[in-house]
Amino acid sequence: MLIGIDVGGTTTDAVLIRNGEVYSTAKVSTEHGNLLNSLLEALDAISRDVDPEQLERIVFSTTVITNLIAEGKTDRVALVLIPGPGVNPASYTFPDSFYLKGAMDYRGREIDPLDEAEIRKTVRLIQEYGFSRAAIISKFGQRNPSHELRIEEIFREVYPGCKLELGHKVSGKLNFPRRIATAMLASATREHYQEFVEKIRQALEERNIRAPVYIMKADGGTLPVEKSIECPVETIFSGPAASTIGALALTPEGQTSVVVDIGGTTTDLALILSGKPLLASKGAKLGDFLTHVRAFAVRSIAIGGDSVVRVKDSDTDAKLITVGPDRAGPAYCMGGKETTPTDALKFLGLIEVGNPKRASEAIKITASELGKSETETASLIVEKVSRMIADAVNEMFLEWEQEPAYRVWEVLQEKKARPENVFGIGGGAKGLIAEIAKKLGAKPVIPEYAEVGNAIGAAVARPTLTLNLHIDTEQKIYSVAEEGEIVSLNTTNIGNLNKIHLDEAENLATKLMRARARDFGIAEYAGEAEIVDSEVFNVVNGWYTSGRLFDVNMQIPAGLIPEWKRREKA
Amino acid sequence: MKLGLGKLRDVLKTGSGASPEEEKKKQAEGKDKAEKEEILKIENEEIKPETSEVNKMELKKTGLEPKEGPLSPADRTGVEKTGLIFFPAFDWAISPTHPEREERLLYTRDQIFEEGLMDLPEIAEYKPRLAEYRDIARVHFCVPDVKAQATTPHLIAAGSCLVLGDALMKAEVKNAFALIRPPGHHSMTVAHGNRGFCNINNEAILVEYLRKKYGIRKIAIVDTDVHHGDGTQEIFYNDPDVLFISFHQDGRTLYPGTGFINELGGPKALGRTINIPLPPGTPDEGILYVLDSLVLPILKDFKPELVLNSAGQDNHYTDPLANMRFSAQGYAKLNEKLSPDMAVLEGGYAIQSALPYVNTGIILAMAGLDYSCVREPDFKPGMFVQGAKDRKTLEEIVAAQLENWKNRDRLVEAEVAKHGDFYRRKKQIFYDTDMIQEFQEETIRMCPDCQGYKTIDSHAHRGVDDTRIFGVSIPIYACENCQAEAREEYRKRLIHPEYEYVYLQDKKQDEYRTYNIRTKRETVY
Ligand SMILES: [Zn+2]
Ligand SMILES: [Zn+2]
Ligand SMILES: [Zn+2]
Repeated sequence: MLIGIDVGGTTTDAVLIRNGEVYSTAKVSTEHGNLLNSLLEALDAISRDVDPEQLERIVFSTTVITNLIAEGKTDRVALVLIPGPGVNPASYTFPDSFYLKGAMDYRGREIDPLDEAEIRKTVRLIQEYGFSRAAIISKFGQRNPSHELRIEEIFREVYPGCKLELGHKVSGKLNFPRRIATAMLASATREHYQEFVEKIRQALEERNIRAPVYIMKADGGTLPVEKSIECPVETIFSGPAASTIGALALTPEGQTSVVVDIGGTTTDLALILSGKPLLASKGAKLGDFLTHVRAFAVRSIAIGGDSVVRVKDSDTDAKLITVGPDRAGPAYCMGGKETTPTDALKFLGLIEVGNPKRASEAIKITASELGKSETETASLIVEKVSRMIADAVNEMFLEWEQEPAYRVWEVLQEKKARPENVFGIGGGAKGLIAEIAKKLGAKPVIPEYAEVGNAIGAAVARPTLTLNLHIDTEQKIYSVAEEGEIVSLNTTNIGNLNKIHLDEAENLATKLMRARARDFGIAEYAGEAEIVDSEVFNVVNGWYTSGRLFDVNMQIPAGLIPEWKRREKA
Repeated sequence: MKLGLGKLRDVLKTGSGASPEEEKKKQAEGKDKAEKEEILKIENEEIKPETSEVNKMELKKTGLEPKEGPLSPADRTGVEKTGLIFFPAFDWAISPTHPEREERLLYTRDQIFEEGLMDLPEIAEYKPRLAEYRDIARVHFCVPDVKAQATTPHLIAAGSCLVLGDALMKAEVKNAFALIRPPGHHSMTVAHGNRGFCNINNEAILVEYLRKKYGIRKIAIVDTDVHHGDGTQEIFYNDPDVLFISFHQDGRTLYPGTGFINELGGPKALGRTINIPLPPGTPDEGILYVLDSLVLPILKDFKPELVLNSAGQDNHYTDPLANMRFSAQGYAKLNEKLSPDMAVLEGGYAIQSALPYVNTGIILAMAGLDYSCVREPDFKPGMFVQGAKDRKTLEEIVAAQLENWKNRDRLVEAEVAKHGDFYRRKKQIFYDTDMIQEFQEETIRMCPDCQGYKTIDSHAHRGVDDTRIFGVSIPIYACENCQAEAREEYRKRLIHPEYEYVYLQDKKQDEYRTYNIRTKRETVY
């Protein structure tokens, strides 16, 4: 049996899956200052009549990291930065930064050496200021981490108690400012997150639950909870990711769908293209900071069931309806003060919840301002809201089509897709999905269990894993971005380094991926690994090729565990 | 249930220390936007059926507009962003060890991505597209046809310029940088093959596209590549509305061996071509001197509607193909002072030691950001000083060209008086990459009402192959007499067996034809 739990902003949802089918669901309200309680309450509700021995897997998604950052409960981190030449670091907006001399270039060759005296002085200063943790990030540190490593050594010597985070271990991707932000957030949240995980472990022990526990990541994958301590920030935005995987689980295989999650204040959109959830081309934005955290492309628009409906004068004297972007409490028919889309839906009989008399009252007021009949007014509101959401969906597809391309074949490969299904979840979905789907020329889908689609997503999501291999045959080294180690090519069984072919580079990547999956305790999914892209460049000195650069990017993409597929076959 | 990203964001926003005033402002902006959208939507709904969404999107995507008269350029005051297309063509090379090969912009990619430049709010990154064949035919007589000269990478490089040109004209961006390859400034009107790594001329294609689509006329092109921009010069040599300024290493010491100060333009466009041959070894100081004392004053005087920069990066002190002493700081400063509406990458082959730093500097300068920390690993301020002798040479060139500029109208008058109805000149052109020798006779109609149409009789030898073509070109702002006469010229040649192909380039009518004499088949682009 599988359990999925999504600790959301207002409710915590849980499902129990048995023989590939939803067996039971539970919903408890989320207790704000204590997410752990909510999680356990939902867990107890869903597993009440279950023998703990029968549980095979528990997956949860949580906002714990997001909340920590939002509530400013993170720890202060001293940022030790080695920016080298380029953008003036004075333009960065990171707090608590200490800049050091030294520089690497794009191939990891040292441009400027470190200044050891300066480092020692800085470390002592960091200690004096009372920082208990520091993140050390150098520009192109992923191409050569020796500066970061040397500074780590000096820290160990001068200020041994300081907890350290190294940029190249956090992400191997290009983008120094994003690496700074990601390292900073990882360091700032790790201990609180660790405490949270420890409490979960204890709670499960008390309940005699020995099933493996996983946590959802922003890219829709699951990660063994012990492993997640290494990369706490990857668990941000796991709620929308869970919803998207839920949609994937509840729609036919291989189709293109847009997932529309209509809440009170906002509507979230995610895309599934030919059965594959779309990842954001760059990492997620967390607060004010752009990060390297791999996440689904999610677009949030400020419109929801509780958005305020207003009547405005236009230039041409005609009266117009506006919706949102603000919310002033619940809908009128739910005891609020303002007319909202929910009132319009209730008035038109498209939803069950809410007081019908109050809905009529609300629409009557708006209708008299607008100078139209009540039915007409309610329809206009629904029309308006669905139009805004449909426009946002179109914009999202357009944005995907317009993503930059750096290769001839990428420009030639005409990206084009429109949704076949509009998959509705969330409180406001019911009345609106049909209208939105009509505007998009797609089929509206509100599946059974849509209200716990997020928890289903958590329950049936499979692990994801990435591996970016960089090989420089001139320098005879390779590195795996995710692991931050620079390894000599002589340790591989590649014979002639000067004649490495792309398929040999890809073989090496595949081998490393298998080891990495084993390391993450997800060896059984190694077979799902695929090569996302690979490229090879000659290094030419004068008119001769003196080496080659390879980049091979692999992933175990987001998807569903086979247990769930079993149900489809049945 | 609902875990709204929007909610998270809201919480995060307040958590991140935004002041209540800022919050209010953001909300108010949001409201305004929502209201504007409302008005827009209602109008749309009345006029257009449901499917118009898709069409609109299609048009937005390709940059194409519904067919109608020329649009007018939008007002760019207050626009903040710099448009950028980075198209390194990682899967294209002339040959594996040719300087124009796959990884030319690889280290530039590494540097600008690592710097996070694409994340800057001042930068808007655009996606390249393919230029259409007619965009190429508007500028070139491609032998035998457009397809043969403009392969896919060429179409994408040119198309990238057009995407940014549109963004500029629609005021989505304040300026733009096409960081693209392959380059184009050595390509001339007739394209028999590859010259100086170029097949088609990206800037010229952009100029004619913008003129046709947005009705603009006066354009200045400043070529800062170390090589003389002979292709661009040739294409606009007789066009008084295009000011072409090129500075480059002295043609006596570097390919293509042209670009001397006496090359001033055709009879009716004298003084609208300004060449500044620089002594080898000229450092930042010298180039900035030329810019300040010659280029900027002339530009100010000419008052172009648009300034384009053929931004080659081979003046760099480490470039393997030339001998200049320009630095990344110098390039950034040059760009800041010139402040072009659009820069287009041309040459630059120090792919490790120069390009990553030069491009970072140019992007920051265009975006109005601080580039003071951009420098090459081995650069020391003051490492290159201008010699006194070279300084004097530069002063003389500047003085001579200022004089030419001042007297340009008189020069035109005197020159036009020397010719009758037609002005003819013979030329020899060598295509280094493809080893083609071309002989041309160019004829310009000396029209009192316009710049006159042009015909080119071109004979190319490549090994034992011989090709002869005839092309007729009608400028976009030609008079009707010239247009009629030129079209007749085209028609008359169609029965001449000495030519293999005959071309009509009617920019006024936006009509482009190629006639194959042997197959008697006409292609219309
Ligand atoms: Zn030049
Ligand atoms: Zn050049
Ligand atoms: Zn005329």
